[in-house]
Amino acid sequence: MELVWLIPALPVAGFLLLLAVGRKLDEPFAGVIGTLAVAGSFLVSCVVALDLMSQPEEKRQFVQTLWVWMPVGSFHVDFGFLLDPLSITMCLFITGIGALIHLYSIGYMKGDPAFGKFFMYLNLFVASMLLLVLGQNLLVTFLGWEGVGACSYWLISFWFDDKANATAGKKAFVTNRIGDCGFMLGTFLVWVTVGSIDYVEIGRSAGAVVGATATAVALLFFLAATGKSAQLPLFVWLPDAMAGPTPVSALIHAATMVTSGVFLLSRLSPIMEHAGWANDVIAWVGAATALLAAGAAVAQNDIKKVLAYSTVSQLGFMFIAIGSYNYTGAIFHMITHAFFKALLFLGAGSVILAMAHEQDMRRYGNLRKYIPVTFVTVGIGWLAISGIPPFAGFWSKDEILAGAWAVDGYGPALWAVGFVTAILTAFYMTRLMIMTFFGGVENWRNPELLADAEPEVPLGADADAVEGADGTGAEATLAHAATATDTHDDHHAHDEHHGLTPDHTPVESPTTMLVPLIVLAGLALIGGLLNLPFSHRLHFLKEWIHPVIVGEHELPEAAVLWVLAIVAITGAVVGIFFAYRVYQQRKVDPAKLEKPVLAHAWYIDDTYAAVVGGPGEAAFQGAADFDAGIVDGAVLGVAHGTDAAAKVLKPVQSGIVRTYAAGVAIGTVALAVFVIMRMGF
Amino acid sequence: MVALTTLLAASDAAIDTPDIDWSAIAPNLVLMLGGILLLTVVSLLKTRLPRWFCATWTVLVSLGAMAAVVPLWRRVQDSGPETAMGGAVGLDGYSLVIAANVCLAVIFGALLLKGYLEREQLEGPEWYVLLMLSASGAVTMASADDLIVLFVGLEIMSVAAYVLTAMHSRRISSQEAGMKYFLLGAFASAFLLYGIALTYGATGSTSLAKIQTYLSGTVISHSGLLLGGIAFMLVGLGFKIAAVPFHFWTPDVYQGSPSPITAYMSTAIKAAAFAAIVRVFVVALGPTQVNEWRPMVYGLAVLTLLVGSLFAISQTNVKRMLAYSSINHAGFVLIGVLANTPEGNSATLFYLVAYTFMAAGSFAVTTVVGRTGDGRHSLDDYRGLSKVRPGLALVFAVLLLSQAGVPLTVGFLSKFYVIQAALDSDFAGAGVLCVIAMLTAVISAFMYLKIVASMYFGDPVDADAPAIRIPASAGIALALAVAGVVVLGVLPGPLSDVVGDATAQLVAVIP
Amino acid sequence: MGAVLGSEAAGSRAVPLLAVLILLPFAGAALIGLVPRSRSEFFRPIAILTSVATGALSVYLLTQFDRDSAAYQFTIDHAWISDLGVRLHFGVDGISLFLLVLSGIMFPIAILAVKPHGDQKAYYAWMLVLMAGSMGVFTALDMLVFFVFFEIVLVPMYFLIGIWGYGERVYAATKFFLFTMFGSAFMLVGMIALAVLHQRETGSPLTFDIVTLATDQAVSTTAARWIFVAFAIAFAVKVPVFPLHTWLPDAHTQAPTAGSVILAAILLKFGTYGYLRFGLYLLPDAAAWAAPVMLTLGVIGITYGAICAAMQKDLKRLVAYSSIAHLGFIVLGTFSLTVQGITGGLLVMVNHGIATGALFLLVGIIYDRRHTRIIAELGGMQKAAPLLAGVFTFVMMASVGLPGLNGFPGEFLSLLGAFKGGRWWGVVAVTGVILAALYLLWAYQRVFHGPASGGNATMRDMDLKEFAVFVPLIGLIVFLGLFPGPMIETMEPSVKALVAHVQESSDNARADQPDIEKADVDNAEASASEHGSGTEGSAGSGASEGSSSGSGATSGEGHG
Repeated sequence: MELVWLIPALPVAGFLLLLAVGRKLDEPFAGVIGTLAVAGSFLVSCVVALDLMSQPEEKRQFVQTLWVWMPVGSFHVDFGFLLDPLSITMCLFITGIGALIHLYSIGYMKGDPAFGKFFMYLNLFVASMLLLVLGQNLLVTFLGWEGVGACSYWLISFWFDDKANATAGKKAFVTNRIGDCGFMLGTFLVWVTVGSIDYVEIGRSAGAVVGATATAVALLFFLAATGKSAQLPLFVWLPDAMAGPTPVSALIHAATMVTSGVFLLSRLSPIMEHAGWANDVIAWVGAATALLAAGAAVAQNDIKKVLAYSTVSQLGFMFIAIGSYNYTGAIFHMITHAFFKALLFLGAGSVILAMAHEQDMRRYGNLRKYIPVTFVTVGIGWLAISGIPPFAGFWSKDEILAGAWAVDGYGPALWAVGFVTAILTAFYMTRLMIMTFFGGVENWRNPELLADAEPEVPLGADADAVEGADGTGAEATLAHAATATDTHDDHHAHDEHHGLTPDHTPVESPTTMLVPLIVLAGLALIGGLLNLPFSHRLHFLKEWIHPVIVGEHELPEAAVLWVLAIVAITGAVVGIFFAYRVYQQRKVDPAKLEKPVLAHAWYIDDTYAAVVGGPGEAAFQGAADFDAGIVDGAVLGVAHGTDAAAKVLKPVQSGIVRTYAAGVAIGTVALAVFVIMRMGF
Repeated sequence: MVALTTLLAASDAAIDTPDIDWSAIAPNLVLMLGGILLLTVVSLLKTRLPRWFCATWTVLVSLGAMAAVVPLWRRVQDSGPETAMGGAVGLDGYSLVIAANVCLAVIFGALLLKGYLEREQLEGPEWYVLLMLSASGAVTMASADDLIVLFVGLEIMSVAAYVLTAMHSRRISSQEAGMKYFLLGAFASAFLLYGIALTYGATGSTSLAKIQTYLSGTVISHSGLLLGGIAFMLVGLGFKIAAVPFHFWTPDVYQGSPSPITAYMSTAIKAAAFAAIVRVFVVALGPTQVNEWRPMVYGLAVLTLLVGSLFAISQTNVKRMLAYSSINHAGFVLIGVLANTPEGNSATLFYLVAYTFMAAGSFAVTTVVGRTGDGRHSLDDYRGLSKVRPGLALVFAVLLLSQAGVPLTVGFLSKFYVIQAALDSDFAGAGVLCVIAMLTAVISAFMYLKIVASMYFGDPVDADAPAIRIPASAGIALALAVAGVVVLGVLPGPLSDVVGDATAQLVAVIP
Repeated sequence: MGAVLGSEAAGSRAVPLLAVLILLPFAGAALIGLVPRSRSEFFRPIAILTSVATGALSVYLLTQFDRDSAAYQFTIDHAWISDLGVRLHFGVDGISLFLLVLSGIMFPIAILAVKPHGDQKAYYAWMLVLMAGSMGVFTALDMLVFFVFFEIVLVPMYFLIGIWGYGERVYAATKFFLFTMFGSAFMLVGMIALAVLHQRETGSPLTFDIVTLATDQAVSTTAARWIFVAFAIAFAVKVPVFPLHTWLPDAHTQAPTAGSVILAAILLKFGTYGYLRFGLYLLPDAAAWAAPVMLTLGVIGITYGAICAAMQKDLKRLVAYSSIAHLGFIVLGTFSLTVQGITGGLLVMVNHGIATGALFLLVGIIYDRRHTRIIAELGGMQKAAPLLAGVFTFVMMASVGLPGLNGFPGEFLSLLGAFKGGRWWGVVAVTGVILAALYLLWAYQRVFHGPASGGNATMRDMDLKEFAVFVPLIGLIVFLGLFPGPMIETMEPSVKALVAHVQESSDNARADQPDIEKADVDNAEASASEHGSGTEGSAGSGASEGSSSGSGATSGEGHG
C-alpha cells in the first residue's frame, strides 16, 4: 500500500518527460511514453488494490502523508493520500480507461503537429484526476479538482486557432470556477465547524456538522458538483466542450472528470447524512437535468453533441442516486457509464475519422458495411446505455431507479422522472445508431444534402458571450454561428469546411483505435457483474465500499426490485421500438419530434449568453467607465479645481501698487474688526 | 548711533545715557564698519578696485561677523542672556543664531553678485556696501530688545534693500520692483510704527522686557490699545515676512530685483523679521496675550499657506514660483510661532536656517540660468537643463525636492520640526492647521515637480540661447547650498542642538 | 505577548547585516555616479553585481533567521536625531523577512531582464537607490526612519517613469508622486501626533520607536483611531485601495518594464506592510475598530478591480488592474485579524510580487516585439511564439490562483481567514476567484488564441536568454505552490504574536462590546486546537487564535 504515491507519480513523471522532450520526439514515441506512464499507473493501482483487499475490512484505510502543505495555526493541511476502497476503485477505472484512451489517441492524433503536447496534457490530466480521488483532505482534492479543470481548458482549446474552440475552453474553465467557489466556501465551513478538513477527521467528527450547517455544506459542495459534473444550472459548458479532440471528450467529458462531483459527494457521505433537505434538492436537480438533457439529445444532429447531452443526462441519474442516499448505485453507474460512454465516444471518434471529420449524422447512414468493428462495439455500447440486460448499464440504472423508488415521500415521482428519461435515452441512442449505421441510404452520396445549409445553429454558438465581454455582442454571435456550427474537432479541415465528398468511401480505423473499442465493449458487456442485485453475496461493489460510505439507505425488497426491473426493460424496449418506427421505417416525420426548443436545449444557454453578453457586459463596461470617469475624474477634478482656483485668483496679483496697498489695507481692516470684536463691543 | 539715542530720548522722558558694552554688538559693528570702510576706501581711491576685492572683502567681513558671534555665544551659554545699552539690545542665543544666519545670507549674496556684476557689466562696490549695511540693520532688528530699536533696525535693513532692488540700472523691471517695494514698505512701516505707539500707550514702555513684566503684573482684559498695537505690529512685520494678505509685493519684487539680491532678501530679511515677530509676540506678549494674537496669526498662517501654494502652480516664471514658495514657507514658519513654546522657537529658527540654504541656493540657480540680462526665468528656459548642464540640474532638483519636503533633505526636517512643535503645544486647531500645511506642501510640490519635469523630461527649446556659464564664485555658492541641504538633512544633530540651546532662555524673560 | 513582541533577539550580529543590506545598493549607486558617462560599459555590470550581492545577502539572512522566535532579529539601534528621539532602529521579524527576500530577488531580475534605452547611468543608479529604499522600508523599526525610506523611494520611481516611461509618462509620474505625497501628508501628522501623545501620556522622552509605542499602547482610544485614519489614508494610496487607486493604472502602464515590475512586486507592498506594522501592530484597537470598513474596501478591491481589469483594452493596464484585485485579498486577509488571514495576506504579498512581476516582464517582451499593448491588435500569437505562450499560460495560471502554484495558498488562506473573521465579507470575496479566471483567460484568448495575422503570425518567439530570466521565477512559482510550509512556519511566531497583541489591546479597549457569534467561533477553535494539538506548534495557537478569531468576530459583527 506504500506504493500508493506511485499511482499519480507515474503520470506526473510522464508529463514532465514530455514537457522536457515532447517537442523533439517523433510521432509515435510521445504517445507511447504517455500511454506507458498511465498503463504503469494502472498496474500499480491493481497491485495496491489487491493489497488492500487482502486486508481485513476495518483495516482498509491507509493514509500516506508526503509532506506538510499548509500549517497555519489550527489550520493544518498535509499533502497526502487517503487510500480506501472508494479511492482505489476510482483509480482503477481512471487509469484503466485512461490507458486505453491514450492508446486510442496514438492512432487518432496521427499527424497532428502538436502530437507530443497532446499527450503531455493528457498525462497531466490523469495525474490531477488521481490526486482528486486520492486526496487525503478536501484541499488536495481541490488541487486535483482545479488541475483537471485546467487540463480540460487546455485540451478543449487544443486547436486554439479556431476561435470557437478557444472560447469553449475558456467557457468551461470559467463556468467551473463558479462551482469552485462553492467548493472553497464548503471547505471553509467544514473547517470552521469541524476544525479539520481531513476526510478521516470529518468522518470521525461528522457529528459536529448538523442542521443548517450540514445542509449548507452539502449545498455548497453540490454547487461545486454542478460545475464539474455539468448539472443544472451550470451544465452549459459540456456540450461546447465537444470542441476538444474526441479522445478528450471520451476521457474527460464522459468517463472521468465529469464524475468527480459524484465522487466528492459520496466522499462526504458522513456530512450528507445530516444534510436533510439538501438531499432532496440534489435528487430533484439531478432528475431535472437527466430529463432536460435527454430531451435535448433527441434533437441533436452532431453525433458528439448527442453523446454530450446523453452524458449530462446520465450524470443526472447519478445525482438522483446521491440524493436518495444510494451511493453504491451512484458509483456503480459512474463505473458502468465510464465503460460504455467512453466506448461510445471512441466509437464516434472512429466514425468521424472514417467520415473525413464529418460530425453531422444526417450525412451518415448505412455505415455498418464499411466499419463493422466500430459498428459492433458501438452497438454494444448502445444496448448498454439503453438499459437492456445483461449489459452493464441496465444493472446500474436499475439500481438507481430502485433507490429512487425507495425514497420516502416523493419516491415514486422521482422514479417516474428517471423512468421517462430512461425511455428517452433508449430512443435517442437508437436514433443515433440508425442514422449512423442503418437507414439504408448513404446520405453523403447525395450532393445537395452535402451542400445543404448548415444544420440549425447548435448550442454554444455564441458561447463566448458567456463571460459577458466579447466585444460586439450580436455581430460576434453571428460570426461564430459559422465557425461553431458543428464543433469540428479537426483543425486540418478548417479551410474547406469539411473533407466529405460524394465519392468518399469510409474505412475502418487502425488497430490502436480498435483495441480500446473492443476492450471497452467487453467491459460494457460484463460490467454489471460488479454489483448484481440477486443476492447480498453478489453485491461486491456495495460490500467493498460500504466501510467508506455512511448512512446509505437500503433498496426495496426483492419483489419490488423485480417489478421495477421488468417495467424498466419494457420502457427501454418501447423507446427503441419507437425510434425504429421513426427513423428506420419513417412512419413518423422526425421533424415532429426534433423541435427547435430541444435542439437549443430549452434555450438555457442562449438565455445565459443573452443575459451575460447583454446586461452583464453592459454592467462590467459601466464599472470600467465609472472608474475612468467618476473615480479618476474626481481626482482630476480636484487637480483641475485647484488649477482653476489659481487661475481665478491670479488677476488679484495685478502688478498695480494700488491693489497691493489695498490688500494690505484690507488685511489690516480684517484684523481691526477682529480686535474690535475681541474688545466686545 | 546718534539717531538711535535721540530716538531713545524721545521715547523716554528722563534721559540717562546708558553705558555702552560694545562687545555685545560686535557682529553688528563688524558688518556696519565693514560696509562703511569699503565705502570710504572706494570713494577715496582714484583707481578702481578689482572686482574680486569687494566680493572677497564682503565675504571676509561676514565671516568676521560670524566669528564675533562665537565668543558671545559662549558667554550667553555660560552666563545666560543679558541686555546691553540700557535694555535696548538683547543678547541671547536666538539673536546670535539669526545674526549668523544673516551673515550666511550675505555670503551667498556676495558670492553670487561677483559673477553677476561681471556678466551684467555693472559697477560694483556700492552693491556690497549696501548689502553689508542692510545686513547690519537686520542684525540690529534681530537683537532688538526695544521696539524702537527694532524699528530702526528694520528701516536700516529695508532702505538698503529698496535700493539694492532697483540697483540694476538697465533692467526696467528692477526699477519697478524697487519702487513697489519702497512704496509698500513705507506703507507697512507706518503701520508698524502705529502699532509700537499703541503698545507703548497700553503698557507704558517700548522695552520688550518691561512690557512683558508689566503685562504679567497687571491684568488688562481686551484693552483696545494693546490689541490694536498687536494688530498693527502684525501688519508691519507680516509685510516683511510676506504673510498673506501683506504679501503682494513679494512676487513682483523677487522677480524684478537682481537674482543675487533676491537670494539675499528672501533669506536675511525674512529671518530678521521672523526674529522680531518671535521676540515681540512670543517672548514679550506670549505669556499673557497669546490668546489675543494667536487667532490673528492663525488666520494669517492659513491664508499664507494656501495662497503661497495655490498661486504658485499657475506660474510659468521660475523666480515667481520661488517667490510664492517662499510665501508658503513663511506660512510654515508661522506654525512654529503659533506654538508659542521654546520648541516652537527652535523650530522656527531651524526652519529659517534651512530655508537660507534652500532659497539662496535656488536663487543662485536662477542667477546663472537667467544669463546675460537676467531675463531667462521662464519654465521653457529650464527645459532639458539636465542634458545641457546635468550638474546644475541635479543641484536644482535637490534644492527643489528639499523645498517640497522630501526626506534626507533639510527641507523635510524643518517641516517636521514646526509640525512637531505645533502638535506638542497642542493649541486649538493645531492638528487641522498641520494637515492644511502638509496638503499645501503637496500643492507646492506640484509646482516644484513642474520645474524638475521641464529640466529632466523635456528637451531644450531654443537651441541658440547663450550657453549657461557658472562662475567659480557662484559654483561655490551652489555647492555650499547643496551641501547644507543634504548634510543637515542627513545629520541635523549639530544644527538642532544649536537651535535647541539658542532658545533655552530668551532675553526678555529676565526683568 | 506584547513583551515577546517588543523583546529583541539576544546577541545581534557583530556585523550589522541590515546596514550592509541597505547601504550596499546605495554604494553601488554612488559608484555608478562616480563612473564617467563615457565608460558606459561599466554601469550595467555594477548594477547587476550590487543587486545580486544584496539579494544574496537577503537570502543569507533567511538562512540565519531564527524561525522559532517572534522577536526582531539582526537588530541595529543607533541614535540619529537625539532631540527628537529618532533612532536608526532596524530589525527583521517573520513578517518583514520574506518581503526583504522578495526585494532581494525581484530587483536583480528586473535589472537583468531589461536593458534601458537612453541614459544608462542614471537608470541603473536610480534602480539601486530604489532597492536600497525598499530594503529600508521593510527593516525600519522607527516611524520616522520608515517614513524617510517610504518617501525617498518616490524620487527614483518618479524619474524612472518620467524619463524611461512611455506615452503619458510625465503625467503618470507626477500623478504617482503627488498621490503618494498626499497620503504621506496625513501619515506624517499622524506619526508626530502619536509620538507626542505617547510622550504626554507616559512622561517618557519623545520617541518614534515602533516597538516601544506598540508595547506601551499609551494613547487614548479616540486619539488612536484618528491616528489610524491618518495612516490608513497614506497606505490606502500606496496599496492602492479603492477609491485612491487611480494613480496605479497610469503609473503601471507608462512605467518602463522594470519600473512596473518593481512597482507591482515591491512598492505596492509598502502599503500592505504598513497596515500590518502601523495598523495592527502599532494601533491594534483602532485596527480592530476599523476592520469592517477595511474588509469592505478589500472586497471592493477584489471584485471591482477584477471587473475593471476585464474591460481594459490595454494588456499592461489589465495587469495593473489585476494588481488592485490581488492586493484586495491582502487587505482582506490582514483585517480578518486571524492567523490564517494574515499569513495568507503575507503569502499573497510575496506571490503577487513574483507572478505579477513575471506578467509585466512578459508584457514587456510582447511590447518589444509588437510595439503595441492594445489587445485588439494582438492575437493568435501562440502559433508563432509557443514558448512565450507557454510561459504566459503558466504565470497566468499562477496568478489565477491554480492550486499547486504559488498564487493559491495565499489567496485561499486570506479568504479562509476572512470567512473566519468576518464571514460575509469572505463569502462575497470568493467571487473574486471567478473574476480572476475570467479576465486573465479572456485576455489570454484574445492575445494568444484564434487565427494570427500580420506581425502576430511572424512574431519572434522568446529566446533562451529571455527565458533564462524566468527560470528562477517559474521555480519559485512551483515551489511556493507545493511547499509553502517552511515559509508559513517561519512567519508563524510573529503572526501569532501579532494576532494575540491585537486581541489583548482590542479586548482591553472594548470589553463591553456585544460580540455576536464569538461563542460559535470559539467552539470551532476549541475543537480546532484539539485537532491541531497533535501537530507541532499549533497546540498553543489554538488558544491565542481562539481569542483572536473572537476579535475578528467582534470587529466583523460587533461593528458591522
